[in-house]
Amino acid sequence: MVLSKGSGVMRRFSFLFYLILGLGIISLIPIQGNAEPSWVLDIEEFSPVLKDGPKPDRMARLEVGVEEIEESELPVLEEQEGFDERIRDPFEPLNRIFFHVNDRLYFWVLKPVATGYQKVLSEEVRKGVSNFFSNLATPIRLVNCILQANFKGAGLETLRFLINTPLGLFGFLDPAQKEFGIEKREEDLGQTLGVWGLGPAFYLEWPILGPSNLRDTLGFVGDLFLDPITYIPSPPLRIGLKTYDKVNETSLRIGEYEDFKKVVLDPYIAKREAYHQNRKYKIKERK
Amino acid sequence: MTLIRLLIVFLLFGIETPLFSGEPQDQLQKTTDRVLAILSDPTLKSSEKAKERRELILKAIDERFDWEEMARRSLARHWSQRTPEEKKEFVILFKELLMQVYMDKVEGYSWNKIQYEGETIEGSYGTVKVRIFTPKEQPIRVEYRLTKKGSTWLVYDFLIEGVSLVNNYRTQFNEIIVKSSYEELIKRLKTKISRP
Repeated sequence: MVLSKGSGVMRRFSFLFYLILGLGIISLIPIQGNAEPSWVLDIEEFSPVLKDGPKPDRMARLEVGVEEIEESELPVLEEQEGFDERIRDPFEPLNRIFFHVNDRLYFWVLKPVATGYQKVLSEEVRKGVSNFFSNLATPIRLVNCILQANFKGAGLETLRFLINTPLGLFGFLDPAQKEFGIEKREEDLGQTLGVWGLGPAFYLEWPILGPSNLRDTLGFVGDLFLDPITYIPSPPLRIGLKTYDKVNETSLRIGEYEDFKKVVLDPYIAKREAYHQNRKYKIKERK
Repeated sequence: MTLIRLLIVFLLFGIETPLFSGEPQDQLQKTTDRVLAILSDPTLKSSEKAKERRELILKAIDERFDWEEMARRSLARHWSQRTPEEKKEFVILFKELLMQVYMDKVEGYSWNKIQYEGETIEGSYGTVKVRIFTPKEQPIRVEYRLTKKGSTWLVYDFLIEGVSLVNNYRTQFNEIIVKSSYEELIKRLKTKISRP
């Protein structure tokens, strides 16, 4: 028993080791190519505008105070999140393939399954299931609050767990939020690394897992160690629970991705930029 | 894919009256109250009145949103290269693209508490931060960016959980124009609108 358990843990660790090693190698590629990165050349060929003079946002800042200029003649303000802060995407062709895979996966598999599931269980129950998984994942949020020196957040996450586990039927209900108004702290290791000053490096779209970047991928792997589901000894049960969680979450959000696709012209880029901006915001606006 | 879930609330304004508030917030709230009044008006609830109600909401929103400014910022450096006619056409298409999806959402939305979290004013630019409470989700944080034109403050961008509408479109538009052409962008906008 002890032996087999031990080897299971070992296997898991060696898998993670190779995953991290693989990511480490991937991360070296753009650094190696720094002297003459081919993808930068591509961008410049595509957009000669990038090469001219001062960037639009600099110009705009200079001229904001000049009120005599007719409004329509003012250069467009680039805001704080202008072109400068767009995420690098050296693997765009591959990411686009995976985006397409995820898109088909949603319409062909996930959505039909979640729609059927939706018909069986009421929204209240499904919300409860979502709360249960979220309560189970408390260690992730708690530890990351501590790592970010957010001790108030860590305390409140502990309190939420102590309230919701006994009073909320193992987290199925959320009395901590409903009765006491204690909100969940959505913290993860990707954000912690961001708080510590690590940049996203570049965008990655993973099959099944969805949008990410190098930093958040490392964070995701690290967070697995804090996820109690990881420590369930039976792999089929582990995968089954993760899949069920995903289907349940999807059943609560059917129609959102469809609406998103209706208002955007390039869903890949819209998703990438939204992910990047949202992550930056979460790292900045912690409480 | 939280973007759209968050985007749907972009037209939902505040309900609570804060103790102290400046011009941008006051004016934003006036629009809110108007939209709310239209939505809760029993005489407009019937299906024959649906079109009239929709137009009233659109009018209220129109007065607070600066569509041209939004479109201009979304096109960014490509804006100045367009003729006045092209600019006009673009603003109309951009507005139509946004409205066709969001009007349904506004009309079908169950209204909940909205809390004002503060505002900033810097010269003729201002921001108003709100938190929208929904029955299902965690509260959603929205930041409106406004600019003063004359004596009115107009919304030119909003950020939902840090995702700016204008920035997101700017990147898409730029990519399409740079990789193909402005004509291609217009073509794709038109297809989107006619067949969402």
